[in-house]
Amino acid sequence: MSYYKKLKTDLKGAAAAGIITPDQADRAWEHAYSARTFASFKAAHWIAAIAGLFISLGIILVAAHNWDKIGEVAKMGAFLVLFTGVAEAVIRLEAKPAAAIPLETLWFFMPALGIGLYAQIFNLSGDPVKPYLVWAALSAPLALLSKRPLAAYLTSILLFAVLYWGTLGSTNMLSLTSGFKHAAQPLWHWALALSVLGAGFALFPGKMNSKPLGAAAIWLFFMLVTDTAIRVRSKALLLLAGMSLAVLWLTWGSGEKENAAAGMPLTVWTGAVYMMTFFWHWKPGSHNSYSGSDTELGAMITWAALAGALITLALRNQRLLPEGKTGDYIAKGLLAASILCAFLLFDASEGSAKILAVIANLILAAFGASCIIGGTSSSDEKLINRGVAVITITAVTRFVDVFGSLLTSGFGFIFTGLAFAALAYFINRGRKALIASVKK
Amino acid sequence: MSKLRIVLGLQLLFFTAWGGYLLSSKNSDTPEFYLETTPVDPRDLLSGTYVALRYEITSPKAANCLTLMNSALNLFVKLEDRGKTANTGQGPVKIYEAADCSVKEPYGQGWAKAKIQPAFTGAPTAGYGIEKFFLNEEDPRKDARSGTVLAKVKIDNRRRLVLLDLVKKI
Repeated sequence: MSYYKKLKTDLKGAAAAGIITPDQADRAWEHAYSARTFASFKAAHWIAAIAGLFISLGIILVAAHNWDKIGEVAKMGAFLVLFTGVAEAVIRLEAKPAAAIPLETLWFFMPALGIGLYAQIFNLSGDPVKPYLVWAALSAPLALLSKRPLAAYLTSILLFAVLYWGTLGSTNMLSLTSGFKHAAQPLWHWALALSVLGAGFALFPGKMNSKPLGAAAIWLFFMLVTDTAIRVRSKALLLLAGMSLAVLWLTWGSGEKENAAAGMPLTVWTGAVYMMTFFWHWKPGSHNSYSGSDTELGAMITWAALAGALITLALRNQRLLPEGKTGDYIAKGLLAASILCAFLLFDASEGSAKILAVIANLILAAFGASCIIGGTSSSDEKLINRGVAVITITAVTRFVDVFGSLLTSGFGFIFTGLAFAALAYFINRGRKALIASVKK
Repeated sequence: MSKLRIVLGLQLLFFTAWGGYLLSSKNSDTPEFYLETTPVDPRDLLSGTYVALRYEITSPKAANCLTLMNSALNLFVKLEDRGKTANTGQGPVKIYEAADCSVKEPYGQGWAKAKIQPAFTGAPTAGYGIEKFFLNEEDPRKDARSGTVLAKVKIDNRRRLVLLDLVKKI
C-alpha cells in the first residue's frame, strides 16, 4: 500500500473514531497529496518532459558524431550556456527540493565537466591533483552559500579524497610520501596539504565533526606510517600515536546528537584494542617491512598526540560508556590504559609484548562487562548487545588462538563447530534474558 | 542579485578567462615544430580517451640537463633543429631536440618551460604539459604505437609548449 493510500485510510479511521471531523480528514489528505513530488505535473507536463529528453538525447548524439567538426569557441560557449542554465535552474527552483537537489548536484559537477572539456579541447596535461583542487576551489563558494548542505558535503568529501590520494602519491603537488628531502617535495606541499585538510574540515556542514575529525586523524596516522617527513618507525611510537589519535577522535568527535553513541570512532577504538591482543604472538626482531628510522617531527607529533589525549581524558566527558561517576572512572581508566600500555613496546621483549596483549584482553573484557552492566541499569538494549558482542568476539578469538593448533582433524573441526553453536545459543539466551529483565 | 548568482558569475568568469588564455596560447604567433613521441593509451577520469605521450625531450640528454634535472623543480629546455628529420603525409619535417637546459629564464626564442618530476627508480623526468592528446574513440591514432607518431607543437609567449596535432610518420 502506498503512503498516500495508507494516509487516506488512517485519516478516514481517525474521522470514524471521532478524533477529527470528516471535513478535516479530507482537507488534511488534500494538503498532503498536493505536496507530493511532481504533484503539479499533469499528463501534458510528462509528455513535454519526454519530448525534452528525446530532443536532448538527439542533440548529444549529433554533437558527439560531429565532435571534431565543432570549433573550440563553440564547444566552450555551449558549455558556458549549459553551466548557466543549470545554475539558473537551481536558483529559480530553490523552493522545490525535488528539482533543486538533483540540479544542485549537477551544478557541483559542472566545473569538473568544464575542466575535462577544456583539457580535451586544448590537450592539457600536467599535475593530476591540480584539476581536482581547482574543482574544489570553484565549488567552495557554492558549498558555503547554498541553503542546502549537499554541495558542502560533496566538496568536503572531494577535498578529503584528494588529500588522501595526493599526499600518499609521490609525483604530484600534494605528494608527501617518499624521498621528502628531494627538491620536488618541498615544504609548501605540507602547507597545501594542511590547507586542503582545513578546508575539508571547515566546509563539512553542521556541527557534527566526527567524520572529518576521523578522516583527519586517520590521514595523520597514515602520514606517520608512510615514508614522509613525519615518518615514525618505532612500534611503540606508532602504537602510542595510533591509540592517542583513536582516543582523541572518540572524545572530540561529536555525532548528530551530543550524547549519542560514538559510533564509528568507538568501533575504531575497539578494533584497535582488539588488534593489540595479537601482540601475544609478537617476537623481537619480527619482520619490519618499512625502511628508515623515526623522524624528530614524527616523534614530536606522537608525544603531542599522547599529551593531548591524556589532557582530554582528564578534562572532557568520555563517550565510551553511559555518563555517571563510576562509568566515567571506568571509561577514562580503560581509555588511558589503552594508550599507556603502548609503553610496554619500548625495548620490548617477548614477555612485555605478551603483557601488552593480556592488558588489551582485559580492557576488552572490562569494556564488554561495563557495557552489559551499564545497559542493564540504563535499560539500553543497544549497549547490552555491544557488550555481548565485544566479549563474544574476544572469547572466540582467544579460543581459536589457544586451540587453533589442535584443529588438525575432521573431528576437531566438528567439535569446534558444535562448541561455537552452543556458545552462540547460550549467549543469545543470556542476551535476551538481560534485555527482557531491562524491559520489565 | 542573489549570492548564488555571484558564485555562478565567478565560476563563469573563471572558465571564460581560462578559455581565453588557452585560445591565446594556441593561436600565439610563434613557430610550429615537431617532437618525437612514445605513446601509450590510458583512460582519464575527467577527460575520457587520450593518447599518453612521452617524448625524447622528457629525458633531455643535452649538456647540463642531467645535472639540473636532479636539483631543480622547474627548468627551461632549449629546443632546436639539430638536423633530425622524419617523413609524414605532408612530406619530410624537421624534428626538434633538447639542446640545453637552464634554471633561470633565458633570453631568446626556443626555450620551453618544464616541470621536473621525481621517480622512484631511474632518473627524474621533465613534464611540459603536453603529455596527453585527446582523441575520438574511432580515431586510428588512438592505437598509435611507440615511435609511429610525431607531435606538432609550438611554444607560446609564456614559454609553455602547446600541443597542436599528432601526425603519423610514414
